Amino acid sequence: MAHVAKRDVVLKVEGLKKSYGPVTIVENFNLSVREGEAVALVGRNGAGKSTILRCLVGADRPDEGTVLIGGNRMTETNPAVRRDLATVIDDLDFFPDLAVVEHLDLLARAHGLEDPDDIVDDVLEQVQLVQQAGQLPSTLSSGQRRRLALATAFVRPRRLLVLDEPEQRLDVQGVEWLGRKLREDLDEGLAIVLASHEPSLIAAVGAREVHVGEQQ
Amino acid sequence: MTTLDDRYGPVGVADERAIKRLMGDWRNGRADRNFWAALSDSYVMVFSIAVLGAMIGSAIFDAQQQAAGCTTVGCSAARGLLPWAAAAALLTLTLVAGRMFGPVLASAAEGFWLMDSPMDRRRLLAGRFVLALVLAGVLVGAVSALVAALTGSSLSHVLIWAVSAALGASGLTALAALEQTFDRRVIINVLEWVMGAAAAATLALLVASAAEWIAIDPDIDAQLAFIVGGVGLVLLVVAGVAAFTRLREIRRQRLTSGGSLLSGLQGAAFALEFALIRDILVEEKSRQKGHVNPTRGVGSGTTALIMRDVQRLLRNPLSLVVFAGSVVVPYAVQALGLQALNVAISGIVLMAALIPFMNSLRVLSRTKGLERMFPFSPTTVRQATMVVPAVLALLWVFGAFPAFAGVTGEVRVDFVTAASAALVAGLAGFLGAVRWVSAKPASYSGPLVATGTGAMPPGLMFSMIRGFDMIALTTFPLLFGLPAWISLVIGAIAFMFLSSGMSQESLMEQSAEQRRLLEEEKAKTKSGGTSGSGQKIKVQRKTR
Repeated sequence: MAHVAKRDVVLKVEGLKKSYGPVTIVENFNLSVREGEAVALVGRNGAGKSTILRCLVGADRPDEGTVLIGGNRMTETNPAVRRDLATVIDDLDFFPDLAVVEHLDLLARAHGLEDPDDIVDDVLEQVQLVQQAGQLPSTLSSGQRRRLALATAFVRPRRLLVLDEPEQRLDVQGVEWLGRKLREDLDEGLAIVLASHEPSLIAAVGAREVHVGEQQ
Repeated sequence: MTTLDDRYGPVGVADERAIKRLMGDWRNGRADRNFWAALSDSYVMVFSIAVLGAMIGSAIFDAQQQAAGCTTVGCSAARGLLPWAAAAALLTLTLVAGRMFGPVLASAAEGFWLMDSPMDRRRLLAGRFVLALVLAGVLVGAVSALVAALTGSSLSHVLIWAVSAALGASGLTALAALEQTFDRRVIINVLEWVMGAAAAATLALLVASAAEWIAIDPDIDAQLAFIVGGVGLVLLVVAGVAAFTRLREIRRQRLTSGGSLLSGLQGAAFALEFALIRDILVEEKSRQKGHVNPTRGVGSGTTALIMRDVQRLLRNPLSLVVFAGSVVVPYAVQALGLQALNVAISGIVLMAALIPFMNSLRVLSRTKGLERMFPFSPTTVRQATMVVPAVLALLWVFGAFPAFAGVTGEVRVDFVTAASAALVAGLAGFLGAVRWVSAKPASYSGPLVATGTGAMPPGLMFSMIRGFDMIALTTFPLLFGLPAWISLVIGAIAFMFLSSGMSQESLMEQSAEQRRLLEEEKAKTKSGGTSGSGQKIKVQRKTR
């Protein structure tokens, strides 16, 4: 792991605290993730994994603590942060009148790719949605919607990938593919933070496990 | 009477009436207030309805007074055509509603628990079939009567239009139910197009008549009313009887899809989330459509977002046709001698016509997930999604300018005044649509306000006037005779506010974040500027 230690820190979290009313969900959470490193948040349901991820991507504002992405304080509205950070958490929405392939084309172009046909086709094939390329999102099954959500993260440039239980609604082959895909991303120097209940996925990615919600 | 089943023993015959009575008992048994208790609790709402009724009454009285001033043959004929245009539009809406909801429908629970049983489906559905016919008739009749009264028609004409439109709506609903039993949609779809085209053609005829480009018999409205009523009555009897005899044939899926749609809409309606109601309808439409021929995007960066909206225009030609048709409204309003209200009325119509072109803005406003995927600030995203609707609004202003100049009315207006009025109407409609589409729903997580109908979030009270508030804000100066530049300045400020995506909630969040950062800095200074190692992973849960 010595070579990892030399790489730049992409994500640094210090003293994160988040409460909902009188209930403290997360307190004094610290984390550092470097390029080419994957971290898996594990723990029982309600331990606070999703809350941490929501704070990392700016969907929720932490009560205390700092989140730095690429050395910059996490501000969800900052275009530089948005360029570096790809997320698939529970609040992803789709345009009801755009086809599957049009979603990917739009996102790739918005990120500056002038001719994204090849990468869009490649990602569509990877997520096995080639047959559904022209379908509107409301007609997709829940598993296909999950694959489309993952595709929106893979079709665009990114430095840090944050995924909340990405294995949800995927079949066995899908989980295996996801493990290989994330491993490839790591080899290319991306940083990954995911919350997961799937040990085989965590093992396939080779992610460092961080246990959330355990009494210290 | 019972039969003997080998496996289950004696099995009784389902009694549909008894089951319906049982369902009624369950529902009534769970009610914790009766009608009068609910009414006395909601006295504020009753009072509001009374005030609203008084305002409508006053508007009818004013319209009757103004009608006296509408003396030319063209103006009288145009006023006579307005109820016909309204009736055509209402009958189109009846067909659309009938096709979407069924019109005969059942809840998902009824579909699951009752439709599998050996009960007679017709006996279960007959009541709601009749209810659909009555509802369509009463609602369309009431609105038609209101429109006829507002155009200054006599009491006899108001009654003729109310009864005719009611019969027409009930007849078309019966036809839709008959088509539902055959699991077909094609005839209703064709009729929707025909009725919609009739409404648009009548509006155009109204403008031409008021401008005295063509001459129309002033008594034509009553003749048309009798035709609508007669055809409606025949349809009601023939299609109604045929549909009733075939109620058993309706597929369960056609019954429950309407029920599910209705329950979703009811939920959104109780929260007064009209944009959410539209979301549900758009989702339903896209589910029925299912598939499109994908098109390759154009450009990169924000251009890609803008050009995708341009491609959407071509994908939805009907919305574009309706939008183009909305330009007729300012001409019609001017022709009817209501020039004082033209800016506000045209602004409202433009708002409604622009909303279908704001799907990008809607989706990127309602949840953050997709918006976060774009490498731009929220303000840039919002502004990019407003470009195409803004261009459409500008084109509408050019198209509507002659109307405000008085081409169709009896009053001619100078160039600057007309251009200002057209611009204010366009700006008001655009801002109203942006506000309607992108306003955040009422938050139930904050403090609630005590009212006669129970606790409710403060934002809920303003949900109903979303969009209309922008139109009122922008057009009030003109209505009160103030210079147009005041309206334009108010509109510009409102545009800056809306395009930034700022809301009371986000401003409060920003303020809290600033306070938090300041406190952190103070704490760091006190502790000598160190922030701890921060390297060790340590997660703690608060112990109680």
